[in-house]
Amino acid sequence: MQEHVQLTQRQINEDLLSSVLKTPRWWWPAVIVSAAIFLTGIGAFGYMLNQGVGVTGLNRPVFWGVYMVNFVFFIGISHAGIMISAILRLTQAEWRRPVTRAAEVLTVFSLMSALMAAPLVHVGRPWRADLWVFPYDFARGVWINIRSPFVWDPSAVMTYLTASTLFVFVALIPDLAIVRDRTDGLTRKFYAMMAMGWRGTPRQWKLQAVAGILLSALVLPVFVSVHSIVSWDFAVQIAPEAWHSTIFAPYFIIGAIHSGVSAVATLMVIMVWVWGWGKYLKPDHLDAIGRLLIVVATTWFFFFFLEWVFALYTLEDPELAVRELQVFQWPWSGLFVVFLFTAYLIPVPMWMFRSVRRSYFWMFVTTILVNIGMWLERFLIIVPGTMRRGDFIFDWGSYHPSIIEILMVIMTFAWVALGMLVFTKLFPLIPLFDVKEGMVFRDEIRIGRRVVPASIRE
Amino acid sequence: MTPTAIGDDLFDKGKLRGKKFRNTVIILGILTLLGIIGFALRVIDTIGDGTHNTPIWGYHAALFAFILTAAQGAPMVAIAPRIAKAHWRRSISRIAELFGLVGVVSFLIYIPVAWVLPSMEDGRRTLWFYGELKVPAHMPEVTTTLVLLALTITGLVLLWVSAMPDFAMLRDRTTGSKQRWFAWLARGWIGSSKQWHWQKHRLGIVGAFYFMMLITAHFAYSVDFGMTLVPGWIDALYPATHAHNSLQSGVAITLIAMYVLYRFGGYKDYITLDQFWGLGKLLFALSLLWFWFWFSSFIIFWFGAKPAEEAVLDLLFVGPYLWIVFIVFIFAFFVPLWSMIWNPLRKSVWGPVTIASGVLVATMFDKIRLYVAAFSVSDLPNKHELVDILPGAVMPGVPDVLIWVGGISACILIYMLATRIIPPINVWEQKEVTLYRIHKPFHRTEVQILGKPD
Repeated sequence: MQEHVQLTQRQINEDLLSSVLKTPRWWWPAVIVSAAIFLTGIGAFGYMLNQGVGVTGLNRPVFWGVYMVNFVFFIGISHAGIMISAILRLTQAEWRRPVTRAAEVLTVFSLMSALMAAPLVHVGRPWRADLWVFPYDFARGVWINIRSPFVWDPSAVMTYLTASTLFVFVALIPDLAIVRDRTDGLTRKFYAMMAMGWRGTPRQWKLQAVAGILLSALVLPVFVSVHSIVSWDFAVQIAPEAWHSTIFAPYFIIGAIHSGVSAVATLMVIMVWVWGWGKYLKPDHLDAIGRLLIVVATTWFFFFFLEWVFALYTLEDPELAVRELQVFQWPWSGLFVVFLFTAYLIPVPMWMFRSVRRSYFWMFVTTILVNIGMWLERFLIIVPGTMRRGDFIFDWGSYHPSIIEILMVIMTFAWVALGMLVFTKLFPLIPLFDVKEGMVFRDEIRIGRRVVPASIRE
Repeated sequence: MTPTAIGDDLFDKGKLRGKKFRNTVIILGILTLLGIIGFALRVIDTIGDGTHNTPIWGYHAALFAFILTAAQGAPMVAIAPRIAKAHWRRSISRIAELFGLVGVVSFLIYIPVAWVLPSMEDGRRTLWFYGELKVPAHMPEVTTTLVLLALTITGLVLLWVSAMPDFAMLRDRTTGSKQRWFAWLARGWIGSSKQWHWQKHRLGIVGAFYFMMLITAHFAYSVDFGMTLVPGWIDALYPATHAHNSLQSGVAITLIAMYVLYRFGGYKDYITLDQFWGLGKLLFALSLLWFWFWFSSFIIFWFGAKPAEEAVLDLLFVGPYLWIVFIVFIFAFFVPLWSMIWNPLRKSVWGPVTIASGVLVATMFDKIRLYVAAFSVSDLPNKHELVDILPGAVMPGVPDVLIWVGGISACILIYMLATRIIPPINVWEQKEVTLYRIHKPFHRTEVQILGKPD
């Protein structure tokens, strides 16, 4: 963190509240386009409900298609918030300050998209969702099947969503008070209610800091458990042989961190380009994220390697058939090459160069590539996995997503975009109090002829 | 303290080694000899039998796995915080790096294990796709030996690169043959900007390489010397669990070494609560991860419940070694979880050290469970599924006990002797931090400011 611009509190307020107090010209068109796409997806969903899941490309034996891919993908993206926010907060990494809220908010909207993708859309009959949680029949004592992922997933995802929302809210309170003091009328009432009487007393600051640390520590096990549980949806099954692997939980989690942190980097660049927050989200921040991504991506690649090595180690025909399908048969082979190059082989060597890590443009390009690759990774696990050439499969049909599925996939992305746009209009996307605190804690030390950046806390 | 005073103090402490030190060295030397005798007895058993008699080497293989896991994982405690530029690491980085020397003992202990490993011609599943690729039947021995050799050498290089400025200081403070010896180790170090720049980069590169070698070594040994010996054991996560366990017990062993130096070495001015607290937090996090890794494997086997998986669970978890599973679970996870969430314990000197001792005990038992069990079924005729009646728990014989006592004593001995030559507290890093640390008034209080160069 060598670049440093000392800003006054007034400047910080002006810059970072600009998204809330002013409405740029592009904001409404962006919201309308996102909302239109989202509503088109909802329309497609309604059509599917009316006609049945036969309108999708799902067929025997491929019963899990792009809905599940999207579910896993958005759960992955949602890991960004906790990775950036909780871990970096606990380790007191100074560079986290302007990045945390965007990451946390991305978590919340991604989780909502994940919920939309799997429990709502994928199952085809969402009105029966109550039966995943409540007993079928009290009188006869027919209880829910706690061994079913239908119970695990909603429990885990809803816990994570609740914890993440609380996490965002607790960190928002001081900033809400600032907005409250700069608005009037109904708007002021709204922020006053949200700020819950925040006046910035020492006791309130202490409670807020303790709550932040406690939530960081408590949300971490939830973060780990969510994607572990999602991975176990796959791994506990013995039928698609390629899924029954012990590596799935860590492999999914590290993959989620890889795609999630990349998504945060993408979002940071968009924030700089759209809101002009280059003074806060500096190349230094991208550099730090780039270094983190090299470690995360390489660890992910190691788990990918383990997954493949042990798939081949089994020497079992059905497992080898799936692998052959993934690597040697068109179109999966083409997708596999694209996946490998976009998820690792292009971005990681590029991140080795400092100039790339510090470039907004190149970080945008490489992190987008990562998420294309990671989406394909999930696709290649799910679809060829269910197309397995196992025993007793009398229909080896392939899978092509229908227009309805494609619309609903686009809908989930539009939902995240719409959510982020609305959030930036209502709340500051960079935490003001955190940035101000960082300014207070920053210092410099002169050693010989060099000035070294320093901080009050380690 | 001024940088000069720090140098004087630390080098003076290095010279002071009393009667206790000498007596401990003598006792450890005797115990090491006993270990060699135990090893000789084990070799006689094997040769007398006329075969490699792999099953009786389980405890020896477990000893090697334990040292690889705990001692050779310790240098990571120096590498990782150094990359993260954490200042609190400065007093403990040398303590951790000195474990690189233990790699030499570890490698010697490994050689017999490679000797008794069955050839891939026995038809077992292997990583090397033996039948298809026509690789030599002893590829596991070849590759693991090369990887372990690379790990050991890298550990020594890391220690040497890190200690070079200290060797130069020792060169300038000694005379005669000692001076020549330190001059040779210091390789003309005069502390020029270029040399410091060089050293910083080498530490980063060697550290990264050590980490890669450590992961590769755990991968090779855990699979080729453990998993492949158990018919039907297919656990893709196992190498990663093994490597993670190395980080956990590496932190634990560093904590214990740190405590010994703090308590008996006279380094209380350098090893403070900060270091115990920092490592304690790391140990806590790694202990939680231990459970996650363990559970991620266990639930897939338990839920899948294929006959082969159930048989592996019987052998390694709920069968003859169930009591070991309980000990490991209690000391590697349960005790750290329920004790270290308590602030006064985590932020103390005795707390993290006590927990670390438990973690080391758990690691020791865990390696016994895994390798003794794996070696005990290595000669079963069916190489793809555990269909035979499982053997009972293999208890250690006299040679096994002697080998364990001797092996661990040899590791402690080499570490203690190394502290006679190399200062266990990194002198140059201690001096460096005095430049980066200042105190300043802040509102109505005074705070410590720490510089963090890029």
